[in-house]
Amino acid sequence: MRQHQVDDASARPPSAARYLGRSRLGIGVAAATLALAACGGGGGGGGGEEAAEGYPDGDITVVVPFSAGGPTDTVTRLVAEPMAEELGGNIVVQNVEGAGGTVAAGEVAAANPDGYTVLMHHIGMSTAPSLYPDLAYDPLADFKTVGLVTEVPMTIVARKDLEPQTMEELVVYLQQNADTVTLANAGIGAASHLCGLLLQEAIGQTLTEVPYEGTGPALTDLVAGQVDVMCDQTTNTTGQIQGGEVKAYAVTTPERVASLPDLPTTAEAGLPELQVGVWHGLYVPAETPDEIVQRLSDALKVALADQAVIDQLADLGSAPVAEEEATPEAHTERLSEQIELWRPIIEQAGVSAD
Amino acid sequence: MDRRGARKDLLAGATFVAFGLAFAITASTYEVGSALRMGPGYFPLVLGALLVLLGILIAVTGFVAGEGGEIGPVPWQAAGLLVVALIFFGFTVRGLGLVPSLLVTVFLSAMAGRHARVVPAVVTSAALTALSVLIFVIALQLRLPYFGPWFG
Amino acid sequence: MGVLESLGLGLETALTPANLLFCLIGVALGTAVGVLPGIGPTATIAMLLPITFGLEPVTSLIMLAGIYYGAQYGGSTTAILINLPGESSAAVTAIDGHEMTKRGRAGPALATAALGSFFAGTVGTIALALFAAPISRAALEFGPAEYFSLVVLGLIASIALASGSTLKALAMIVLGLLLGTVGQDIYSGTPRFTFGQRELYGGLNFVSLAVGMFGVAEILRNLEGETRRTVVVEKVRNLWLTKEDVRRITAPVLRGTGLGTVLGVLPGAGHVLASFVSYSVEKRVSKHPQEFGRGAIEGVAGPESANNAAAQTSFVPLLTLGLPANSIMALLIGAFIIQGITPGPNVITDEPALVWGLIVSMWIGNLFLVLLNLPLIGLWVRMLTIPYGVLFPAIIAFASIGCYSLGLNAYHVYAVAFFGILGYFLIKLGCEPAPLLLGFVLGPLLEEYLRRALIISRGDPTVFLTRPISLVLLVLAAAAFALAVLPAVRRKREVVFEDE
Repeated sequence: MRQHQVDDASARPPSAARYLGRSRLGIGVAAATLALAACGGGGGGGGGEEAAEGYPDGDITVVVPFSAGGPTDTVTRLVAEPMAEELGGNIVVQNVEGAGGTVAAGEVAAANPDGYTVLMHHIGMSTAPSLYPDLAYDPLADFKTVGLVTEVPMTIVARKDLEPQTMEELVVYLQQNADTVTLANAGIGAASHLCGLLLQEAIGQTLTEVPYEGTGPALTDLVAGQVDVMCDQTTNTTGQIQGGEVKAYAVTTPERVASLPDLPTTAEAGLPELQVGVWHGLYVPAETPDEIVQRLSDALKVALADQAVIDQLADLGSAPVAEEEATPEAHTERLSEQIELWRPIIEQAGVSAD
Repeated sequence: MDRRGARKDLLAGATFVAFGLAFAITASTYEVGSALRMGPGYFPLVLGALLVLLGILIAVTGFVAGEGGEIGPVPWQAAGLLVVALIFFGFTVRGLGLVPSLLVTVFLSAMAGRHARVVPAVVTSAALTALSVLIFVIALQLRLPYFGPWFG
Repeated sequence: MGVLESLGLGLETALTPANLLFCLIGVALGTAVGVLPGIGPTATIAMLLPITFGLEPVTSLIMLAGIYYGAQYGGSTTAILINLPGESSAAVTAIDGHEMTKRGRAGPALATAALGSFFAGTVGTIALALFAAPISRAALEFGPAEYFSLVVLGLIASIALASGSTLKALAMIVLGLLLGTVGQDIYSGTPRFTFGQRELYGGLNFVSLAVGMFGVAEILRNLEGETRRTVVVEKVRNLWLTKEDVRRITAPVLRGTGLGTVLGVLPGAGHVLASFVSYSVEKRVSKHPQEFGRGAIEGVAGPESANNAAAQTSFVPLLTLGLPANSIMALLIGAFIIQGITPGPNVITDEPALVWGLIVSMWIGNLFLVLLNLPLIGLWVRMLTIPYGVLFPAIIAFASIGCYSLGLNAYHVYAVAFFGILGYFLIKLGCEPAPLLLGFVLGPLLEEYLRRALIISRGDPTVFLTRPISLVLLVLAAAAFALAVLPAVRRKREVVFEDE
């Protein structure tokens, strides 16, 4: 009897049992009896090819470390749909907020390595070890990377009545008025904070930083002219730039952005070192079988080639990464390179969130 | 004057003093800064001190006035059961899953009622668990697994 | 485009069968989650967001908006019936609303909330349609210094929420402010009072605090003895407002609507402040302030109207500038983006059908709400006849799931237990919970604006006095403080004399 159930379980990965109750027939007590019976033999993790066979059977949960409706959540939901289609399963997006995304990452690091729990994280994955000295997980050792997804460009914007007209003028202005200019960001460790650190490094001056709780209030104060300068993702700033409510100076990507074609790049404006994009990637717990990682990565590639995804990312001022970047190898390389890039910058700025 | 009546105010004052002290002492371990350049500790330190002051004032005026009635009966057992029920849910909902965790939680809270008996409590617990699943998981699409990984 | 033309376009959009249907679904869902303890509109919209992706942009926004203001409506129902506010503004409604229930007047309380909200919703929507653009500009005049002064005024106003000792109310406000500092400091990233638990970095949640301090504490009080609740149920007779009631609520509804319409436009604090500034105003102008806290119908009419008017006008910054006034508006911005619309000042000119359709649908939604809720009053009141042995475990069950679903964080459930016990004992010691809750909501704003104003002014504290709006607000706050404290001192003296 026991043997029979184990066989049964290899066709249906153990973790599927906990989702069995999702069948519309099984409600409440009925589901309880049913699923308890099914759970009886669900022990023992299937490894290797066995695990990849029949995967996915049941919902795959993609954990997003930020709130629903935010930029990372939006990117996740855009790619989740075609990925689920390609995998032939169902993907559920779950928002687990807190401590700059480290709560969600910590949870996924400790989750069952069965391919049913996936993490979508952005650049914050690489800054967390420097920002949070007491981090309970290691971004490189405790995860397997699945692939990069997209890189959202950032824009340097200012209140609309700030004097400088070009990026070059802005740099001079900031250098001359470093003690009066205020630089807004969306909170410690936010993309806008990181970009602000790079900006200060690039101009060789320390500005007065004004942190906000999230992009919304920061942008509101920028539009209202309460603060002077900010650097934030195109997702947040494009509408305000197009509506003329903020003045835009440059994008922080190597190439210009299609939705804001008149905006020069920072490199064009003479600041090649000021390059930063909010790159997103998918992760699974470190013990996840390689075959499953490969399936997820393949599905990601297919999703990124989907025309609807390309169009919607373009609306956000972004684009899918090149096909060869949507791989575990390219992703791991980016992650380790970024961890090293940010460590000295964050240490020098003396920021610590633990 | 009835000094017993002041017990309420004395206890309330003591509670505020205790909270104020706890916050103020902890806050002083953070960077405090100055009034014009506040660190993370400044605001809670000032408020903690203010709460201590208010607590003392409440206790003193209560002692002087001596008003206020009896504190009245406290349902200790019910309070204990509700606390255990809530903590049990928080602690096990992920591991056990929604259904078993909620069954136990509702059973424990139902037992907190006056004249509660085991059989009606079990029925209540089963019915409310079914209702919760219906509302939260099926209607509102809350993605909580029915059975958690502790079952294998 | 003229206003009439715009409204015509809006009507055309809002009256399509699909949009009407989803508006109805939205407000019905909103009412339902508002009524369920522990689960608020933010969590619901976040959960249902993916479902709306398949809909037309305007349809999805109509439905999501419906959930938001529908929940404002529904939240007051549980506040009135079982003393369980699901939202910060409903905490004010609970004070006198639940007292009315205890006196067998749950029906009139619910009717007042429904009618007041409908009127306020209508006015709020009209204000939104007529003055959205100019008022959004005016709102931008509010910098950190002005907000700080506004929050101070709000805090002083919240002393009026307590009917007992002023000192205790002040202490509860300060304790609330302190609880609001739990979590990561946004200026330095330093985690405060988190005991090293990362789950607490985001701070305590309003819902778990409210469920604990109001809901669980109320359960424990009911479990003290057998007599209290049976009385409640027996006395429910009248479901409808008497002529006297109608006379008494008219002015508070008008004042509440005005306050809510204006304050709702302000990002961040506005919506929260509206309902309890209204309560404080009503208590101040009332000829019988001693009734407040003991079931004064004005204490339901004013705040409920304020809250619902504010819910409508909080859409102003979103629709005119693409800027979110609160976390729910931020979610709606996400919905815009997913629908391929870039939120920003251009939306109102680029997508007039969407904006005006949404505005008109909000009035239709309010109409649905009042039509839906008035007949339901009888049903809600009958909820009180559910045996308490079933009702309170249900509250615990829903609250556990609801609070856990806030970011799947078990600490929000532990907090319910902690604040349930704390709230219960504080109430027994004569400390009312409402001021604490409002301190908790306003605390983070107070500190945030104070520190931000000082950072931007480079440590110049005169900024609060040299900016005219800020100065006016501070003067008002000082006056309100004097008014709140002086009568209390006098009353206390009188009591002392009587004792002797």
